[in-house]
Amino acid sequence: MLNYIARRIGIGLLMLIALSVLVFVLLRLAPGDAIDAYINPAAPLSMDELAALRARLGLDQPLPVQYFGWLRAAISGDFGFSTQRAGVSVLPLVLERIGPTVLLMGTGMLLAIVLGIAAGIISAVRRNSVTDVALSVTSSIGISSPAFLTALLGLYFFSVQLRWAPSGGMLTPGAPFSAADLLSHLILPAFLLSIGHAALIMRYMRSSLLEVLNQDYVRTARAKGVREFWVIIKHATRNALLPVVTLIGSTIGIAVGGAIFLESVFNWPGMGLLLVNAVNTRDYPVIMCATLIVGACVIAVNLLTDITYAAVDPRIQVA
Amino acid sequence: MHIRTITQALAIGGLLLGATALTTPAFAQDAKTITGGFDVGPGGFPKNFNPLAATGGFTWLNTYFEPLVIYNAELNAIEGDLATDYTVSDDMLTYTFNLAEETWHDGEAFTSADVKFTLDLIRDAASGSVFTGRLGKIANVEAPDDRTVVVTLSEADGGLLSVLAQVMILPEHALASIAPESIATSTWWSTTPIGTGPFKFTKYVTDQYVELAADEDYRRGAPKVDRLINRYFENPAAAVAALRAGEIQFTYVEPEDAATFAGNEAFTVIEGDSYVVNYIGFNQKVDLWKDVRVRQAFMYAIDRAAIVESLYGGAAKLANCGYVAPHLVPEGLNDYAYDPEKAKALLDEAGWADLNGDKPITWLTYYGSPQAANVMAAVQAMLAQVGVNVVPRVVDVPTYNGTVYQENNPDWNEFPLIYAGLQNGPNPAGINVGLNKSQLPPAGANIMRIEFDDLSAAFDAAIGETDASQVDARWQDVCKVMNEELPWATMWVANRYGVASANLVDFVWTPAPAGGPFAAHPELWDIK
Repeated sequence: MLNYIARRIGIGLLMLIALSVLVFVLLRLAPGDAIDAYINPAAPLSMDELAALRARLGLDQPLPVQYFGWLRAAISGDFGFSTQRAGVSVLPLVLERIGPTVLLMGTGMLLAIVLGIAAGIISAVRRNSVTDVALSVTSSIGISSPAFLTALLGLYFFSVQLRWAPSGGMLTPGAPFSAADLLSHLILPAFLLSIGHAALIMRYMRSSLLEVLNQDYVRTARAKGVREFWVIIKHATRNALLPVVTLIGSTIGIAVGGAIFLESVFNWPGMGLLLVNAVNTRDYPVIMCATLIVGACVIAVNLLTDITYAAVDPRIQVA
Repeated sequence: MHIRTITQALAIGGLLLGATALTTPAFAQDAKTITGGFDVGPGGFPKNFNPLAATGGFTWLNTYFEPLVIYNAELNAIEGDLATDYTVSDDMLTYTFNLAEETWHDGEAFTSADVKFTLDLIRDAASGSVFTGRLGKIANVEAPDDRTVVVTLSEADGGLLSVLAQVMILPEHALASIAPESIATSTWWSTTPIGTGPFKFTKYVTDQYVELAADEDYRRGAPKVDRLINRYFENPAAAVAALRAGEIQFTYVEPEDAATFAGNEAFTVIEGDSYVVNYIGFNQKVDLWKDVRVRQAFMYAIDRAAIVESLYGGAAKLANCGYVAPHLVPEGLNDYAYDPEKAKALLDEAGWADLNGDKPITWLTYYGSPQAANVMAAVQAMLAQVGVNVVPRVVDVPTYNGTVYQENNPDWNEFPLIYAGLQNGPNPAGINVGLNKSQLPPAGANIMRIEFDDLSAAFDAAIGETDASQVDARWQDVCKVMNEELPWATMWVANRYGVASANLVDFVWTPAPAGGPFAAHPELWDIK
């Protein structure tokens, strides 16, 4: 087992290095570099001046020299400075963005699960009622609305028109930190993020529950005189949840994409916003570091999953 | 009934969530604060704090740093800032600045040594300053006493004061210990910078906002508000949403957004000259554009007046040379009024059918706004009517710069034609960098590789003019040559917009190129 883990970690590290080479080369193939992003075309600088700036960032060196210089520093934990932010180290910059993204995505998914399952249960139990039709129509709209549309409409109505929630950011600038302030900034983007997923979960929950409600054991429970509430919650819902849980697992990946978009619209200081901005400004050190950290997380999660499988299921051989 | 319980629980949950949204007003701040998107739009320089490397954002930097001299808010005269006054010798080679009594934000006295330190640092290329080249004519900086600075030039430079207006003076006592080559990446700029301006730097929350506090000892009087906050937005639309939601009191807005604020009493729309001339650039390394008749045909083929009227809502001035400011434009220019027949005739004379015919010509731009897309589509259609087939290609700024700045044997056909803009004021020498043959890369940014002797001579004469009464006439000569030789097909100078909350009092913002600076007097800004 230990050998297996060691080998997997070794492979993981090699994959990270391969990823870094790939991202590094792809970035250099894209036209324009960090200095090109720096110039205002309406107030241009001379090439001599640009060359001096490039030399200061080491962008004038041959690619292998640049790459191995970066790798040597990265191995010792030094991911360099952001090219667009004077004197800002990249590693803390990237690490401090993980929390906000996890918070936004986590809250969004939690809302989606709670709203989706609750609406699914109500819809199934009240099958063919006005409530069922209304919820089904709402879920259809939710599923078919692209993220950019719900985000912009939500921003316009809830923030600009009704002023129920701030239009962006994670905390009120200049105000002391408070959980209520954080929550007031979080609730709107998280809610908007949850809409599409909640609608999908509701659909699955409804059909799954309808199927279960016709099963013999549900009829038996009712015949035994169990109250309807407990029949639905304890007997039916539990079983109906199984396919829904599988669905939730697979939608988390999609939620990441939605979160990146919402971060841009709501100026939410997460990884998505950081990466979009870094790509726009060709901030190589930030892109490299952020990609590697995301890559390392994926590799680590896969490794942990495999180890867990091997530990709980003796039929899986590791060697 | 039990389902009703679930519904009730959901409703209560919803109400609780809604209630959290209403907690925002609880943050009513005791300190008087003006929050703005000061670095939004083309004049901004977001997340960059080093004024030596600044290519924009001077309006904001100028709230805590100060230059020696500064443009007035109308951008038509240069006045003293940290220098109370200055004199220029008749040969325009010696500038003497008398300095104001002021202290740095940490209490140390501001002296002429700080000015000498700053100018010497900029002249050292290792500092990574973008002003090194522009101040290249400075031969020597002397500080004969604490309150006097004497700058000597190797040759006259009519644009010197204009450049100095963007040079923020830095504290020697705080920065002298940092090696020039380390200064650009120093954390000092974003953590503990000190200036002489009306506000003191207090906090930077990475990529979110910068907070400044009033400097009660400011020489022109303590500021009227306690704090200034500069919020960062990834795009102007997000800033406009925050402005409408009442979270910020000011931001730059795109022209199409500005129209939606007109007549709204809660806001003040600020409109002004962008000082950026838009042009169609002809790459002179491409043979298609050697004949002036082809270039003239572009001017006649494009109905600029119609585009300005319909797509800019009239908020742009037609440019018949690089300038539109009345004192720089001579009488008797060709106005190239829309005449497609004349354009066709000129193309025929130049043998366009053999030269290119209807083969597609890439028309590169970095302008990505919906308005620019409409403008380019209109121009494309107008040129098609006279037999010129241009194909717009919109790329982001790094791609554009990476393409047009290539030095070693670039593929000229990647950018035979561009749609771009260049600063044409308030210092008229702004367009010299893109048109004078002395500015051919790598020395300058003459990216269209224009080598017209008459034009270069006109620029050199204007920049070197030592007789103040003749300066405008020399720039008019430049305009005249541009109008005749058409190194570019000049289009227009569009207006630029900011929108401020009507609650702001004595707030000054000017649509200045690169974001100023100009005498905005932030110490007088107030909020109702």
